This record gives sequence, C-alpha cells and structure tokens, in this order.
Amino acid sequence: MLWVDKYRPKTLAQVVVHEDIAQNLTKLVTEQDCPHLLFYGPSGSGKKTLIMALLRQIFGPSAEKVKVENRNWKIDAGSRTIDLELTTLASTNHVELSPSDVGLQDRYIVQEIIKEMAKNRPIDTKGKKGFKVLVLNEVDKLSREAQHSLRRTMEKYSASCRLILCCNSSSKVTEAIRSRCLNIRINAPSAEQIVKVLEFIGKKEGLQIPSGFAARIAEKSNRNLRRAILSFETCRVQQYPFTSNQAIPPMDWEEYISEIATDIMKEQSPKRLFQVRGKVYELLINCIPPEIVLKRLLHELLKKLDAELKHEVCHWAAYYEHRMRLGQKAIFHIEAFVAKFMSIYKAFLIATFG
Amino acid sequence: MDMDMDMDIPLPEELELLEANSHFYEESYIDSPPSDPSPPQSPPLKNLEIDGSKRPRNSDAIESQPEENKRTKRIDIEEEEEEEEDWLRYAPPEETNVEVAVEKDEEVYLSRFMSAINGDCIPVTAPSGGERVYAKISGAQRDEGLEKLNCKERSKGLLPEPVNVLLQRVEQQAFAKALEASSEHQNDITIPETTMVHEQLWVEKYAPSSFTELLSDEQTNREVLLWLKQWDSCVFGSEIRSTSDEVLSALRRLSSTQHKKSFDSDFSRKNRGHRWINGNNNHIDNVDHGTNNLKGMQEFWNKNSRLTGPPEQKILLLCGSPGLGKTTLAHVAAKHCGYRVVEVNASDDRSTSTIEAKILDVVQMNSVMADARPKCLVIDEIDGALGDGKGAVEVILKMVSAERKHDFGKENNAKKKGSKTASLTRPVICICNDLYAPALRPLRQIAKVHIFVQPTVSRVVSRLKYICNREGMKTSSIALTALAEFTECDIRSCLNTLQFLHKKNETLNVMDISSQVVGRKDVSKSAFDIWREIFHKRTKRDRKSNTSSGSSYGEFDFLHALISNRGDYDVILDGIHENILQLRYHDPVMHKTVKCLNSLGISDVMQQYVMRTQQMSLQVYQPSVAITLHRIVAQIQKPTLEWPKSFQRYRTMLMEKTDILRAWHQKIPPYMSRHLSTKSCIEDLISPLLHILSPPNFRPVALHLLSETEKNNLTQLVNVMVSYSITYKKMKSDSLSSNMGHEAVSDASALSFEPPIGEFIAYKDYRSDPHVLPLAMKQVLLHEVEKQKILQVSTGKSAQRTDGCCNGDQGVVGKGASVAKSAKTIEVPPWKQSKNPLQMSGRHVVVLISLKGLENQAAEVLWILKLQ
Repeated sequence: MLWVDKYRPKTLAQVVVHEDIAQNLTKLVTEQDCPHLLFYGPSGSGKKTLIMALLRQIFGPSAEKVKVENRNWKIDAGSRTIDLELTTLASTNHVELSPSDVGLQDRYIVQEIIKEMAKNRPIDTKGKKGFKVLVLNEVDKLSREAQHSLRRTMEKYSASCRLILCCNSSSKVTEAIRSRCLNIRINAPSAEQIVKVLEFIGKKEGLQIPSGFAARIAEKSNRNLRRAILSFETCRVQQYPFTSNQAIPPMDWEEYISEIATDIMKEQSPKRLFQVRGKVYELLINCIPPEIVLKRLLHELLKKLDAELKHEVCHWAAYYEHRMRLGQKAIFHIEAFVAKFMSIYKAFLIATFG
Repeated sequence: MDMDMDMDIPLPEELELLEANSHFYEESYIDSPPSDPSPPQSPPLKNLEIDGSKRPRNSDAIESQPEENKRTKRIDIEEEEEEEEDWLRYAPPEETNVEVAVEKDEEVYLSRFMSAINGDCIPVTAPSGGERVYAKISGAQRDEGLEKLNCKERSKGLLPEPVNVLLQRVEQQAFAKALEASSEHQNDITIPETTMVHEQLWVEKYAPSSFTELLSDEQTNREVLLWLKQWDSCVFGSEIRSTSDEVLSALRRLSSTQHKKSFDSDFSRKNRGHRWINGNNNHIDNVDHGTNNLKGMQEFWNKNSRLTGPPEQKILLLCGSPGLGKTTLAHVAAKHCGYRVVEVNASDDRSTSTIEAKILDVVQMNSVMADARPKCLVIDEIDGALGDGKGAVEVILKMVSAERKHDFGKENNAKKKGSKTASLTRPVICICNDLYAPALRPLRQIAKVHIFVQPTVSRVVSRLKYICNREGMKTSSIALTALAEFTECDIRSCLNTLQFLHKKNETLNVMDISSQVVGRKDVSKSAFDIWREIFHKRTKRDRKSNTSSGSSYGEFDFLHALISNRGDYDVILDGIHENILQLRYHDPVMHKTVKCLNSLGISDVMQQYVMRTQQMSLQVYQPSVAITLHRIVAQIQKPTLEWPKSFQRYRTMLMEKTDILRAWHQKIPPYMSRHLSTKSCIEDLISPLLHILSPPNFRPVALHLLSETEKNNLTQLVNVMVSYSITYKKMKSDSLSSNMGHEAVSDASALSFEPPIGEFIAYKDYRSDPHVLPLAMKQVLLHEVEKQKILQVSTGKSAQRTDGCCNGDQGVVGKGASVAKSAKTIEVPPWKQSKNPLQMSGRHVVVLISLKGLENQAAEVLWILKLQ
C-alpha cells in the first residue's frame, strides 16, 4: 500500500491540511444532518479524503464498508430502451458514482437511476436516521441536460437524500445547482502544508529528512498533495538515506511536454510543427487531457521566454483553449496555438537579431 | 499500287476477323473477288471528306459492290461506299434484316452456327448490322466455290433484293439528301415540319453501330472483345486458334495500311488505329514496327488460345463515369461477336426471382424465331439500386459458384450438362458507375474488371465535329473543345447539348458553355480529388480551359461546387489538416500556417456547433473554409496526399487505453480507487508508481539472504503491487516496445506489467528511465505476488467470518503478516497463521492480534495504534 493511501486521514479529526474546513464540517454534521454539499478544488487537494471523512463522521465506520457494484440498467426512453452500465460503490448509507462515465447519456443516469436511489429511503435499525447520501463525482463533466435534471431531483427528494457533489471547477456546474448546495472550496495545499505532511509521514516511517528536501518536493509537486507524497515515496525507493540535492523523478508526461517546448524553441517551421503534432498525439493517446497538455505547454514555454512576449503568448493560449473547448478536435487548436507561438517567436527573433 | 490496295482493302476488317480467330488466308479468297473492281483511291479526295465538305458528290460513281452483305464495307476506300454507309445510317431498318436469310437447303456455305457447316469455316461479322455467320471454306475447289458464292449473292443468296435495285435506291437516297441539304441551305430558318417529326436524338442517331466506330479507349475495346471471343468455344462450338503465319503477315500489312488510312481517311474520327497514328506514311518502316507489335500480340493469343472453355472470369464488369460509352461498347461488342443482347437495367424489375428467371432464360434457351443468335446478358447500372441490384449480384454469384463447383468435379466438360445446376454458359456483362459500391464487393472479386477512362478530347471533338457537319450545324473546334472539356468528355451530354442548341437554331459559342445553357454534370468526386484541387493551384491555362472566365470567381465557384457536392466536410477537413504541413509554401514567419490552422479551428468549432444544435443549414459555410485554405496554400506542383489516418488512430488508441485504465481502476479496491479518478491516475500516479515498483537497490538473491531492511522493502513492494492489483506477466520479447523493452532480454519471454501501465508513459521518441528490474527479481516478485494473492483470499474469508472489521484494514493486516511470513519461507496455512501470531517484523505483530478481537472498534483502535 502506498503512502498516499496509508497516511490518508480517516476521520475529520485526523485531517491535517484543511483543518478549518474539517472543523466546520464536524460542526455541520453534529445534528446528523447536513445540506447538499458541493466540494470543488484542484486535484490532489483532498476533496475525496474530506468527503470520506465526513461520511465516516455521519455514519460511523460502517461507511467504509463498501461493495463495488457493476450494474446494468435498462432505461425506457420513449421509443427505445437504453442500456447503461454503471459502477457504483455502495455502503448501507451511501452510494458513490460517477455519472459522467457513461458520456452523453448521463442524463438518463440522473433522471432514472439517481432518482430511484434517492427515492428509496433507508430505514435505520433505530428507525431514526432516515437519509441517504449520494456522492457524485466529476459533476463538472455532466452535460447540461443532466445538470438540469439534477436540480429537480435535489429539491424533490431532499427529505430522504443528501447529495455530495465533487468536482474540479465550479464554473462548469450550473448556477442552479450551485445555489442549492453549500459550496466548499478546497484549495490546493500550500507548500508549507505539504512540507508538514511530508515531515509527518517521514516521522511515521522513521526516516531522516534533510532540511530543504521536503520543500523541494513540495515545490515540484505543483501544490498537489497526492503527487508530493508519491514523489516522496519514489525518492525513498530510489535512494535512502536522502541527500538534500537528490534528484526527484519528474512526471513523464511533463518531461515529454518540456521536450516538445524545447523543440518549438529550437526551430519554427511547418516541418517542426508536424513533428510537434506527432508528439502531441502521443500525449493525447495516452489519456492526457488536451487542456492539460495546452496548459503545461504554455507553462514550459513561458519558462524559456522573454518577458515582453509572455503577455501575448498567454493571451493566445487562452484564446485557443477557449476555442478548444468550443470545438471537438483538440489537436487542431493545440496545433494552432503552437503555430501562433512559432509565428510570434520567429517574428520576435527576426526583430531582435535581424 | 493497285494490287497492293486490293490486298489492303479488307485489312482493317481483317483485324476484327482475326479477333474472331479466323484464318486470314482463306478469308481473303472469299473477300477479294467482290472488292476487285474497286478503283484505287486517292488520298486528297479523302481529305476533302474529312472536312465533311459534302457527301453525295460522287453519286455517279461507278459500281457498288453488294457491300451491305456480310462482306466488308470499306468506307474509307470508295466514296460510293461512303454513300452507302450514309444510306445505312439513314435507313437502318431496311438494312438490318438483309442477311437474316441464310440458305440451308443447298450446300451450306454460310450459317449462323459452325456445326451447320461441313469442313473448315471462318466466322464473319458484318459491320453494319453486327450479324455474324460462319462461312464455309472449301479448300479444293476454292475458285468454283467462290464463284458459286458470288453467284448466289448476285442472284438471291444473301440479299433479299437484287443489287441493281439497291443501287437505285442508293441513288434516290443520295439525291433526296442533296435536295434536302440544298433546301436547308437556302432557308435555314424554316426547318420543314417533317424533319422535326422524324428527328431522333442525336445520341441514338449517331450511336456507334459497329466495333470500329466506338469512341471509347481502344485498349478497353479490344480487351472486352477478346473476353467475348473466349466464349466462342463454349457458345458457338468453335475453337480459338492460334495465329498462323499468314495471319501475321496480314496483320503486318494491316497495320501498315492502318497508318495510311488512319492518317488521311475520314475514319480518323473513329477510334481505329489511334495508337498507330504517327503521321508516318512510310510503308517499310511501319511494317517493321508493326511486326514488333504483332509478335507480342501473337504470344498473347497463343497463350489464350489454349483455353477451350469459357474464360476464367465469367463476368465482365465495366465501370466508368457516365457518358463514356460503356453500354454502347457492351452492345456493339456483343453484336459484333454474334450475340443477341438482352439488357436488364435499372428500369426493370431486378429482384432476385425475376432476375434469376431472366438469366436462366438467357443462358439456357434459344429463341425459336428468326433471330436465333445466342444471347448475351448486359446488366446495366448494376450498382444503381442497392436493394434490387443486389438481387442481380446474388444470382450471378450463385451461378458462378455453382459453375465453379461443377468444374471442380468435372473439369471442363460442363458445357451442356451444366444446365441443371444453372451455370453460366453465356457471357454476362455488368455495367456500373461506381466500382466501389458496397453491393459490388463480392462481384468485384470474381469478375474481370475494366475501368473506362475518358477518351481524349480531340477524339471526342472530331466526332462531334463530324456529327455537326452532318447535321449542318456550324461550330468551331474551339467551342467544341470547350464543350467536351466542360462535360468531361461525356459524349452523351455533348450531343444532347448540341442538339438542343441546334433546335433553337443557335450556334455553339464558348460563352454559352459556361453560362446556364449547358447543364453541368453534378458529379461528386472522391475525397482525394478534392484535396488535390484544394492544394493544387491550377495554372492559368488549366483554369481557362475549365471556366471560361478564368477569374477567381470561377475558381471559387468551382471549388465550392466540388466540395459541397461531396459533402463529407469532416473527412475533407481532416485530410487538409493531415496534409497541409507537408506542403511546400513560402512562409517565413509562419503567418500562412497560423491562418490555415485558424481556419481549421473555425471549421471545427462550427462543426461542433452544428452538431450540437442540429442546425444543419449552417453546413453551407464549411466549403468556404476549405476555399480560404486553397487561396492561402495552393501550389503549382502537385501535392502528395495521404488519407487522414492519424486522427482515427488517435481515437481508437485513446479508447483502448482508456479501457485498460478503467479496467485497472476497477480492480483496485474501492478504498483506494475512490480517491483516484482515471485522469489523476495518469497525471499523478503512474510515473511515480513505476519508479516505486522498480526500486534500483534490490538484489536478486534468495530471500533468506536478504537483510532485515531489504525484507521490509520487499514486503512493502509486494504489498503495493497487490493492493494496486499489478502483477507481472509473460510477454513475447518482440512486443516489448514499452518500457520493458529497454531491457536486454536474451530469452524468448520476459515479464512485463499486467495491466500494462508501463505503456502509458511509453511516448514515441521518449526514453523514460525508471529503473528496470532484472528478470530474476521480477520472477521473485511475481511469485510473491501470486502467493500473496492466495493468502489474501483466504484471509478475506476469515475476515468475513469475523464479520465486523473494515475490509480494507483487515486485508492489509493480513497481508503484512503473511508476506513477512512467506519471506521466511515458512509454509503455514493461513488460518493457522492468523490465529497464531508468530514473531515477525516488529510492527505487524500487534495488529494480528486484533483479528481475534473481531470488533470494529478494537480493530480501529489497533490500526491507529499501528500507525502511530
């Protein structure tokens, strides 16, 4: 078991990073009830950990006893029947699912399955705690229609069911849903917090951490706690005892993008652009989302760029990312950005060096 | 000269006869007497004729052979024959049944069937009606026989009317024609009502009636004919004989005359001998040349002549765009070979049952009526109606396969007995426009396929010119050339246009063609053609010939029509995207590239919007994107294009990888997987995980030799692997392109991760350097992992019995214990193990006891204890 999982706080009391939020959540559920919740924040900041801890706070340890269910649903949609396959994690008191897994048909998940789950009110042995929690992951990936159907469900079955929504960006969740939830923003942990966590783990594992080493990992982790802990463990496996200037293995895909950026800086021509296209395809094939490719590419390019160009390049990156989200074929837009960058940079080079 | 001409006169015809596997030698005997009296011809005169000055000038010309019988019609030799040809054209009904009657009561010299003639015989085809008979060759008394034959011909033989009657009629006809022509000249505007009534479509009127008049490609024509000839043995019972020396010499002479004739005869408008047209009149040179040509041909024939049965491929599939003359060729060739054409086209019922009956009818029955020629089935527009056309294809396929089976059992003797199994014993010609229509896929494999190419513009133009002259329509070659190019050499559309204009008494001028007068063909081109047009800048000349205005407006129109006719914008834009960076255009600061990619981006956004809102009417703006690109990057030189594969490849690979990932994700126990989305798996987890799974400091030694910390590390590693359900799997070494590929494996198989998580960082041209474990170490790990899994299952069972602990925690507890245990290689059954906590690597001991506690809270507490 990796350290990430091993040292994941199980209860709200154990939470180190977002202590204030954890305390607030504890207060929130002391009455054994809570409003709908919407957790949002970047990945690796601890949303899921907090949600699990919260569930445990509400339902006790039984919340951790989950079973995986892979169910086929047959949904009658007017003239035709739609077959959907959905994996759910269910304990007696809660169900976790990612409706966006089924793609365009997520509407039916929300309309039929969630509704059905929400309707069934669990009866406690004591006959008292009569509500159920539905945890929906990646709500921001839900289609607009699905989100619209969700808002009615949220109101209608609020007596028997609480929804905990989890997503990266609240901007993609419609206003209507946001207003029905208590929004909880989980920001990315700061470098100090990460260092604190790493030192905590180091102490538990009985490791000697040279000064500054944890800070370096934290810095490289991009304020992503999961990544920081994984890097930490990687370093431990690679070389122990630590030295303060020990190499921290990079993420391969980031390394690859940085290679692409170097390529772009070296030569600006359609031919080079064609090579870049091949590499970008490689990344996309290996499930790196195009937005992240673009963002990371911009990041790498900015590192190597003169200050006076940075503003313009950022502008164009934003422009093409917007287009990419409007469009369908991400490769067109990433490539257009690269071409634009090449054009700007080349013009700049010519202007500067003649 | 005289003699020479005598010999030469029949020769072009000979070529056909040759194809009919005849002996030239004997043939010439029959042939020459009738043509003897024909006077030598002077070339200048013929040239005049080419210009179409006028036809019936020489109506006083001397003799006329009974040319319209099955002996050759040498139009290019004599003017009066020319006339006769005219006459033939103007009055086809009278002509067609001239030679129907063949004497059978007397000794048979001519018969429709070979079997009816005793002794040697040759097949003869009359050019006018396509009638085909076999003529007897009597070796001993040739002269007498010929005498007889001629007599018969003169008296009542093959002609229903005496020659002098025919002659008279010809004169009358010519006279009438002259009158008509002159009256037309006088008052052009008032076309007599009668002509209006009788007017046929020019397309039909001037349809080629003989093989020599075909306008389509010579090569194709010949091959089609050859294929039909291969049926002879099966249908007519004759054999294909190899070319003898006499034939060779005849051919040689033929080719030399061809040179002369094709150069200066009015037949140049027809397709004969076009490959020999080189303007060289030198006899001797050409003979040599011809011989070389013919040698190859002879070999070809010899090879083919071995076949006695029907040809290997029993179906002929002609394909080509409309108006190139496919149907005409099929009809003419079949007629030429002595078949009666039975046509089935899209207008007929083509369901399986009807077509089967029809084909059986064609194949097995003979007409009892006068026209007893064997039938040849022409299935036109076979690709047309999918549902019905399929019926035809199915039936044919069935018959062919039946035949195959039959042949397999009985070699080639299935000629007449094959009727029971409904095999194909008559040629079947299928005609289609789109060779790659899905319905034709099975047919394509068994049929002999001929693809029609466009005839050259000059040939089409000369033919058009001829017709225009005949119809008294004034045209210029420039206008005709433009028309031909505009219609892409679709002669049918050319003729219809001309006739239409003629009716309106307008002359064809260049302006008309691009204006609304002429309907443009609405053809959709292949995607490749469209990309080519987009990337290829036409030179001025090209463009001018295409659109008379030649302006960018015309270009826009042209491209717009081209792209929107195709309609498949997604593919078109993909193709542009795929190929655009391979073009060579001058672009120092990449402005053009940026523009192009921006345009592509716009089209993508547009496409997405259209699909999302289902406003298909907005699709009309898609072609303009492509045209923008054309204006930016089009080059003079032709681009090399590729079909856009990379996007599709990306899509499928992405799906595959996502599936792998998802499957893996589901195998990870929920208390861990719930914290990982597939996205964060890729972004954060996989790279470090690979490092963690292959630590650099493991010694591949026996377990008991490991130090305490090393054991700990190993335990930890196995633990991680099990919890993430990763194991090693044997793989073929050559498929190790992934990270495991770096390893220098000498043996045939190596161990690689299962699921193949290593592949997720195996980018092209990227060398990641996670330390790769040696094979021995992997084997140890594999062993340990398997053991661990078994243990886990059993502890899982015991945990269920205990019925209260958190699954995850307990699993981990059990694991820690048993791994430590197995590290010591003590084989203890798991149940014993859990009840009997041996001393072990320190911290786990405490936890094991908790299993006995069997209470949630206890386990919880102990777990936390363990952590702290």
